[in-house]
Amino acid sequence: MSVMIERSSAWVERYLVPPLGALASNIFLQAIRDAFIIFTLPLILAGSLFLIIANPPIKALADFIAPYQTAILVPFQLSFGMMAMFLAFGVAYSLAQYRRTEPVQPAVLAVVLFLIASMPVTDLTNLKLGEVLPYFGGEGLLVGILIGILTTEVVRRFRGSRFVIRLPKGVPPNVTRAFEALVPTLLLITLVWSIEWFVSSHSGVVTDSSGHSQVQQLTLPILLMRAFQPLVLVQDSYPAALLEIVLMMLLWSVGIHGMNVVTAIALPFWLATLTQNATANGHGIVTEPFFHIFAHLGGSGATWPLVIYMLRSRSAQLRTVGKVALGPAIFNINEPVTFGVPMALNPLMMIPFVLVPVVIVTINYIVFSVGLVHVPVVLQPFTVPVGVSGFVATGGDIRGSLLQFFDLAVSAILYYPFFRAWERILVQREAAAARPEESRERIAAEVH
Amino acid sequence: MLRVIIVCSWGMSTSLLVDSMLSAAAQMHIRLTVEALSAGEFAARVDECDVVLIAPQIRHLRKSIEKLAQSVGKPVALIEPFHYATMNGQAVLEQALRLLASAQEGMME
Repeated sequence: MSVMIERSSAWVERYLVPPLGALASNIFLQAIRDAFIIFTLPLILAGSLFLIIANPPIKALADFIAPYQTAILVPFQLSFGMMAMFLAFGVAYSLAQYRRTEPVQPAVLAVVLFLIASMPVTDLTNLKLGEVLPYFGGEGLLVGILIGILTTEVVRRFRGSRFVIRLPKGVPPNVTRAFEALVPTLLLITLVWSIEWFVSSHSGVVTDSSGHSQVQQLTLPILLMRAFQPLVLVQDSYPAALLEIVLMMLLWSVGIHGMNVVTAIALPFWLATLTQNATANGHGIVTEPFFHIFAHLGGSGATWPLVIYMLRSRSAQLRTVGKVALGPAIFNINEPVTFGVPMALNPLMMIPFVLVPVVIVTINYIVFSVGLVHVPVVLQPFTVPVGVSGFVATGGDIRGSLLQFFDLAVSAILYYPFFRAWERILVQREAAAARPEESRERIAAEVH
Repeated sequence: MLRVIIVCSWGMSTSLLVDSMLSAAAQMHIRLTVEALSAGEFAARVDECDVVLIAPQIRHLRKSIEKLAQSVGKPVALIEPFHYATMNGQAVLEQALRLLASAQEGMME
């Protein structure tokens, strides 16, 4: 068995690691991911709290809140509801860091460009905020990401090139920097504004999230959202969920942070679907909580039960890992499991590491689509413990917690035979490692 | 005073390792600062450390991180996955000290 494991291990290193590593190293995906974590996630989480308060799960409480609902939603609309604008800032900023160039100036410029792209070119003093508001949030994420990338990539090429205004030596560096930024700033503003002017000289029928249709001036986000809508629908399907979970777990199987990589790609879809669930009674299933809260119980790969098994293992290695892994597992952090068992690059444990989340995702997809549990509406940190997080994610449906516990039981059953097989191998190895010392002691005893 | 940067992804699990390293340093009477940064933040702040360590879950970025660290003369290595898994701060601290020592030896020659 050990020989087989070593052979498949070499195969994994040779054929699986390079392509997955290349995907995960993509600089744009890394910048999008960083921007999401550092700049938008805190706003989303804080905003979600106001959303929960405005829509309490208990009827009596909801009736009490009703007169104040629009007021309570204001902080939500201006934080969570503006996330695309801040994502534009964050993507430009993070990408500049990766490019090792000054980040604040392109980030601020990205916000300006995002604003220009999101507003029709018209008399702004008469613009109804409600018409453009959706495109600052869930429906503008793609525009935010594209603008963030465009800004930094253009600005960094101008820096140090000869197409900048130069000032004589001795001028303070801050002044120099402002003048250096002038040419790309003007160029980008003119570019985005011209495109937007062209786009908004056309009108179209726009259906907002609550289902009202009206004729209004088009903007870039509206146009992009139209092109993007079929993809949002395709993403919110079982095959897409399956593809995403398999990719996540294959990445983790070779020791790469899979959730990060897939999040960077799927985030605009997940958030668009989640926003529709949260603000327009949508029934989208494949969202961020679908994975973080309902699949990765105790950490990526639903490894909670493994921690319990390890605590009482016959293998010293697994017992050690189990003790360290217990605390983090409560908060769905499982690097101790991934690298300690290890799951990563371990051909035997890789099988359930991919299989268990696939089974759980399948069960959950069915449960959500037949309406046994309310679909996820709330985003929360992935560190919220299992049981609590299922209740919160579904906007206060206790069956959300029950589903999590059911999934844990499934995970416990499926992991068990693989755990025992791996434990047997480790116990043999540990015994083999201990033997030379034993025999030396015996020889010493015989000599005396 | 030893300044260590650990390059990782979300910094959640690494923060546990950081705590363990700090308490190990206190026992060994070493003044230590450890920061867990993403690859992007690291690129912007590579100068602010003595030793660079890479968390195992981003080992696919190892080459680019090594290249950047070496370009400014900072010693760099991947954290042993099992030490990372068991949050063995002392072992990781010792790895950092060894790295620094061998880098300084290299400079003497």
